[in-house]
Amino acid sequence: MNSLERIHAALHFQPHDRVPVIAQVFGHAAILAGVDLKTYVQDGAVLAACQRGALAYYDYDAVFALMDTSVETEAVGSVLAYRTNAYPTVQTYVFAKRDDLAQLHLPDPQRDGRMPELLKAIQILRQAVGDEVLVVGCVVGPMTLVSQLMSLQEALYLAIDAPEQFIQLLDFATRVIIRFGLAQIEAGAHLPIIFDPASCPEVIPVGFFRELILPRLKTIVSTFTQAGAICNWLHVAGNATTILPFYPEAGVAIANFDFCVDPARAMQALPQTCLDGNLKPLAFVDASPAFIADEATHLLQHFAQRGGFILSSGCEIPLEARPENITALVQAVR
Amino acid sequence: MYSALMQPLVQALVDGDQATAVAQTHQLQAAGLAREAIINAGIEVAMTQLDARCTVEQFNLLEIMLAGRAVMSVMKVLYPSDAAMLPSQGTIILASLEGDVHDLGKNILKMILTAKGYRVVDCGKDCPVERLIATARQEAPLAVGISGLITTVIPQVRQVRTKMHALGLTQIKVMAGGAALKQATAASLQVDFIGETAFDCLHYVETLSGGAL
Repeated sequence: MNSLERIHAALHFQPHDRVPVIAQVFGHAAILAGVDLKTYVQDGAVLAACQRGALAYYDYDAVFALMDTSVETEAVGSVLAYRTNAYPTVQTYVFAKRDDLAQLHLPDPQRDGRMPELLKAIQILRQAVGDEVLVVGCVVGPMTLVSQLMSLQEALYLAIDAPEQFIQLLDFATRVIIRFGLAQIEAGAHLPIIFDPASCPEVIPVGFFRELILPRLKTIVSTFTQAGAICNWLHVAGNATTILPFYPEAGVAIANFDFCVDPARAMQALPQTCLDGNLKPLAFVDASPAFIADEATHLLQHFAQRGGFILSSGCEIPLEARPENITALVQAVR
Repeated sequence: MYSALMQPLVQALVDGDQATAVAQTHQLQAAGLAREAIINAGIEVAMTQLDARCTVEQFNLLEIMLAGRAVMSVMKVLYPSDAAMLPSQGTIILASLEGDVHDLGKNILKMILTAKGYRVVDCGKDCPVERLIATARQEAPLAVGISGLITTVIPQVRQVRTKMHALGLTQIKVMAGGAALKQATAASLQVDFIGETAFDCLHYVETLSGGAL
């Protein structure tokens, strides 16, 4: 089986030669290659080369065309601050002053900000790995994008103080996400992962997620599926336990669960959905390979009977992770 | 003795209803209630109710932020000038360290500590360790609190207590919180306490200052 076939089998709870393993290696690929992160997140060719290098080094089942969570907001008009070896951050939010929403510019993925570079990375990666390895693009989710357009604090206050305007902004964010995701699928991504940490129940109440975020996730997911995404993968970092039961309604096929989510509760909430997780990200920095191997083995045993599992970290593996710990994760399935 | 009178204010604070909370405060003042009574029987009761609701599974930033904003607005009504605030329970310094520009968690803790009578010195986000320590030297706080959303600040976190001890600031406790730092143990971060939620940090601070208001 190749990686894509293996993941397909896990998705459908079918037998496979081994459990798929996807280390969430994003910027760490740059560190591994000795490239500064500032270049990695701005140059699609560099990103693709680093991801290919990391794939060759670790031999896991997916590559990620993923820069950071500020790509969309920058393309809309926010100003970012770039640092040599850290992810960029928003310096000036495009919607900070709650101006006229009609003035917000719907970005063109072929032209605006770093979107074209991300598409370039996808094209290179897909050309390189074809249908052997999963090529994952990335969009942020609607709540995260709104928080990146005006800051999370202001977004949350807006939701309460001016709910109609907040909903309009959420709808604008959804249009941005769909447009960018469709361009990624067209460029060759097997799927764009939907990364929405601001939708975590630690940030917003479950009712807020159900009423405002879920309907927009449904639209995004069904649009990506119609456009040819092989499936949809939702990633809500943090303790997302209480919103997991809504994922099937959104059409999510792969559900990430972070280290703070009990695997048994995730399985109970999503009996027919493929789960990926959930080693503690920080362990890749400060634990030993033996510890990672033990934790991974424990998880594999937990899911052995059920299937529908991709071994992974609960969230992004930190930039400064020890490579031998990532290797230990990958080796655990072999 | 004021519970019936205070109930609308308490409810407004717990609901995060800023406008109603402020209106209720004005009414209570007009009825002749002293601000200390409004704090003890109103804000304090609301904070206790919020604390009880904030279990690990029910805690969410939105509800806490709204309640915190309402509390701060009431405090502004009660004390229009900062100089006229109640005697402080002690000083706490808060910061997000250099490279980390996320400060929502820190801001929430600031609101909670302020509402509970602590004087908070906010070093802001992206704060170098040296500036945090210089501020600690100047302010002699009960504790410094570090919020961290990204793991790359961990080496800086590990320096704080050692550097303060080297300067003889051995009485000042170091507490940490935030998505990245919560993954670690206090021992590995070389801090005195790690809080799962902002209220955990408040409870820790209360042990340093000798109890709640």
